[in-house]
Amino acid sequence: MADRRLGPLRGAGANRRPRIGLTPPHPVCSGTGETRGKIRLDKPSDDELVAAVASGDEAACRALMDRHLTRMLALARRMLGNHADAEEVAQEVFLRVWTHAERWEPGKAQFGTWLHRVATNLCLDRLRRRRGTEDIDAIPEPASGEPGPDRQLEQRELAARVEAALQSLPERQRAAIVLSHYQGLGNIEAADILGISVEAVESLLSRARRQLRVALATEKDELLRSREISA
Amino acid sequence: MQNEMTLERLREIVEAYGASPARWPHAERSAAEALASSSPEAQALLAEAVRFDALLDMAPAEAPSAALTERLIAARPRAATPLVPMRRETAKGFLRGLFEAVWPYGSAAFPAGTLAAALVMGVALGSASDISLSVTGNTATASAETGEGMIALAMADQAWPEEWMQ
Repeated sequence: MADRRLGPLRGAGANRRPRIGLTPPHPVCSGTGETRGKIRLDKPSDDELVAAVASGDEAACRALMDRHLTRMLALARRMLGNHADAEEVAQEVFLRVWTHAERWEPGKAQFGTWLHRVATNLCLDRLRRRRGTEDIDAIPEPASGEPGPDRQLEQRELAARVEAALQSLPERQRAAIVLSHYQGLGNIEAADILGISVEAVESLLSRARRQLRVALATEKDELLRSREISA
Repeated sequence: MQNEMTLERLREIVEAYGASPARWPHAERSAAEALASSSPEAQALLAEAVRFDALLDMAPAEAPSAALTERLIAARPRAATPLVPMRRETAKGFLRGLFEAVWPYGSAAFPAGTLAAALVMGVALGSASDISLSVTGNTATASAETGEGMIALAMADQAWPEEWMQ
């Protein structure tokens, strides 16, 4: 299993003066992959941004948020089922980025993978705490009423039902499908984040999709019909 | 690998990962794509998976609120900005400056003893409260307006994040 540690504590880094885009990127790591081995004055790597964050660079903080906050929020939304809880988790994720920025060692871990691991574990932790305070087997009541002529209303109702179906999944299946389908991560990265084998990821995904198909059997037809109408 | 891809395995892949080859296991991707493009049954399987993926994509996700962004910016790490340059000669000069602020009459006239010490200490403490000698270095800080909760959260986790990497 990949080493999850960020590496040994570094010094306060008072002598480190990261300059966004001007520091040669580490040959192994890069925020996006395409910057490897190249100095990009216009697009710093995640590692460069994190180093600049550690030294209090507000522009680097905003850049890192522009790059990752929406995705982390989306991950949390699909895991937790509501925007308010998702924002709380996204906030916690970035507070941890701020706290750990000076200890971040380029090359020890991929920043994006670390971020996903943080967000996923915060969500799973929150879901476990929810257990016992509500009946998680009860599918949340979706928007009621027959789909009317209002196309936007139809779409919103469909969206709510998909969200409800996601919320009905067991936590690990939900995490697997969020990482794989919604976040677009490969099976190896998803396995690393969840701390399981790729075979286990595939098993979780198969079960998740099977359960979602059952939950959304009628919705599939509705979507197909609404697309045929609008075509 | 090309020869080993079967319709059954392609079905397993699609049922787990969906219709997009970008999400399929990397090692099997090209073989799976080759079969998908050559087999009518595979194409039907994929067509259905495309529709299901589209349905899944309807799960809502909103943009971050401006309030969230601003809270995070307010809590960002601050660089250490000492008011006094970290050089010994100047540190001495700083203390001398404090001394002279307390007792401008010259050192020869300076009263000895605890009263003198108290005078200097009082001025030093009074001045220090206005001087942002940053002892926290690059530790994340939170400005007062973001609330106790955020401050506690930002400062609490000085240990490795492994405690929640379960």
